[in-house]
Amino acid sequence: MIDGDWLSYSLSDFLMFGPEVFLRLFVRINQDFWPWQGIALVLLLVVAGLLVRGDTLAKRGVLLLLAAAWVGSGAGFLMEYYGPINTPAIWFGWAFILQAALLTVAALVWPWDKTTAGLARRWQAGIGWLVMAALLPLLVVVQSGNWHALALFGITPDVTVAASVPCLLLLPRRVRWLFLLLPLLWSLFSAATLWTLGTRLMFVLPAATLVLTIACFRFSPRPGKSQD
Amino acid sequence: MAIKLSRRQFLAALAATGLSLRMPALMAASGEKAIARPIPSSGEPLPVIGMGTWRTFNVGGDQQLVQERTGVLKRFFELGGTLVDSSPMYGSADEVMGEALDTLNAHDRVFAANKVWTRDGNATREQDRASRRKWGIDRFDLQQVHNLLAWESHLETLKQMKADGDIRYLGISTSHGRRHRDLATIMEQEPLDFVQLTYNVLDREAEQRLLPLAKERGIAVIVNRPFQGGGLFRRYQSEPLPGWAEEAGCSTWAEFFLKFIVSHPAVTCAIPATTRVEHMEENMGALYGRLPDDEQRRQMADYVAGL
Ligand SMILES: NC(=O)c1ccc[n+]([C@@H]2O[C@H](COP(=O)([O-])OP(=O)(O)OC[C@H]3O[C@@H](n4cnc5c(N)ncnc54)[C@H](OP(=O)(O)O)[C@@H]3O)[C@@H](O)[C@H]2O)c1
Repeated sequence: MIDGDWLSYSLSDFLMFGPEVFLRLFVRINQDFWPWQGIALVLLLVVAGLLVRGDTLAKRGVLLLLAAAWVGSGAGFLMEYYGPINTPAIWFGWAFILQAALLTVAALVWPWDKTTAGLARRWQAGIGWLVMAALLPLLVVVQSGNWHALALFGITPDVTVAASVPCLLLLPRRVRWLFLLLPLLWSLFSAATLWTLGTRLMFVLPAATLVLTIACFRFSPRPGKSQD
Repeated sequence: MAIKLSRRQFLAALAATGLSLRMPALMAASGEKAIARPIPSSGEPLPVIGMGTWRTFNVGGDQQLVQERTGVLKRFFELGGTLVDSSPMYGSADEVMGEALDTLNAHDRVFAANKVWTRDGNATREQDRASRRKWGIDRFDLQQVHNLLAWESHLETLKQMKADGDIRYLGISTSHGRRHRDLATIMEQEPLDFVQLTYNVLDREAEQRLLPLAKERGIAVIVNRPFQGGGLFRRYQSEPLPGWAEEAGCSTWAEFFLKFIVSHPAVTCAIPATTRVEHMEENMGALYGRLPDDEQRRQMADYVAGL
């Protein structure tokens, strides 16, 4: 491609598939995964429960479960389903697995101190998170008009990333940026894709995640009393 | 008293009502000849409507959609089409085409056109081999350098491959009106069988230099983006066809857009892409009946410009 040629390209020139194929990825993964969706639902409840509990052990647990969710959506949805129709999804799949490795390290070896002790308003945090993680999957259902397209946390990437970002507030600010880089990149990529596909309702998901991610770079929640 | 009509009489009566113009299936079944143009470098006739696969055939491992696309390809062949165009750039389209050809057992019916799309100028044969494996064929009829990418080295290898009988024709592609000046230079200097470029009732830059040059140099022209990627339908489908469209051989907007293209004397074939059987049927309507003459082509362009 010669210089200046780039100016003649638009986002849609890079989009290799239509909305029908994309929305069916959600239906297909649910069909193939059936009846194990229950695991994803248990995952939601356990993460919410650990957020309420809020002690160091619980935080390590949350990060480990997030790691499992990133592996699930990266190795499954991104690499097996999305990758064949959109090559960058495979690269993101590997990046999701790397992010899971980072989360695992943080969960297991990070020397937690008092400044990263339990969040204030733990009940609100846990229930708020549960409501969010349970409602977000419905966006894909409404977009596609198909219940089988339910985009579950731990199975599909946008919901996994959106629901993970608030949990990353558990990490101290000086290391948190490292965990926010991939959510930032993914949200940009996904927002551009969904905008070009014309699936405007789903576009809300990465767009909101993007705003939340940027906020998380700066914001630190008020620490509550240590539960340790 | 019952009137007995032969099949020919019945079809002639239908044609008189203009109905058969809407029924390429009937035209194909009646044995009406599909419109074809010779490939200048060989004289081999090519039906003027082929099909593209960008976006439409990139359905990955979705078996339901693979089946649906196979149905689209099946209809294409039934209605007299032969040329199918794809590229390694189109995600899983090559694999899906291979599956569809297998299901239809149609490897012998297809005029297989593919592309070389890599910056690595030494990877021409390797990529050709990979695409052949996906299609399940021994050789491509036409192999094109995609978007002029690393064209010097790919073209050299393609020439050698043609001489060795590993491909039947070679060509080069561009789209969206990009790099027309470079393409013209290549057309002037290289022994191309085919060029592929964008040309439609709105994007007519190719009329200035490239189409006359192709005619002069005896290069076949494949036209991509005949509907501007679907944009022409979004813009004009709600508008009425002009009253004189039937005289120009067009009873649908699809025929209007496609016949405008393939009636240009330098064009060999247009390659619309679709995911839907009913759209394929509409598009293949342009393979039959009358083509507009020069005056009607002018009228067509003016009509669209005035909407
Ligand atoms: N550089 C290159 O070499 C290059 C670049 C661009 C394209 N190409 C080739 O050219 C082919 C054609 O170009 P394209 O696919 O970009 O665009 P196109 O053929 O101009 O338009 C395809 C779109 O038109 C719609 N359509 C088709 N028939 C229709 C009908 N009868 N009524 C209403 N809508 C209809 C299709 O939607 P439905 O699915 O709903 O029918 C699809 O969205 C490509 O597939 C590719 O093989 C090559």
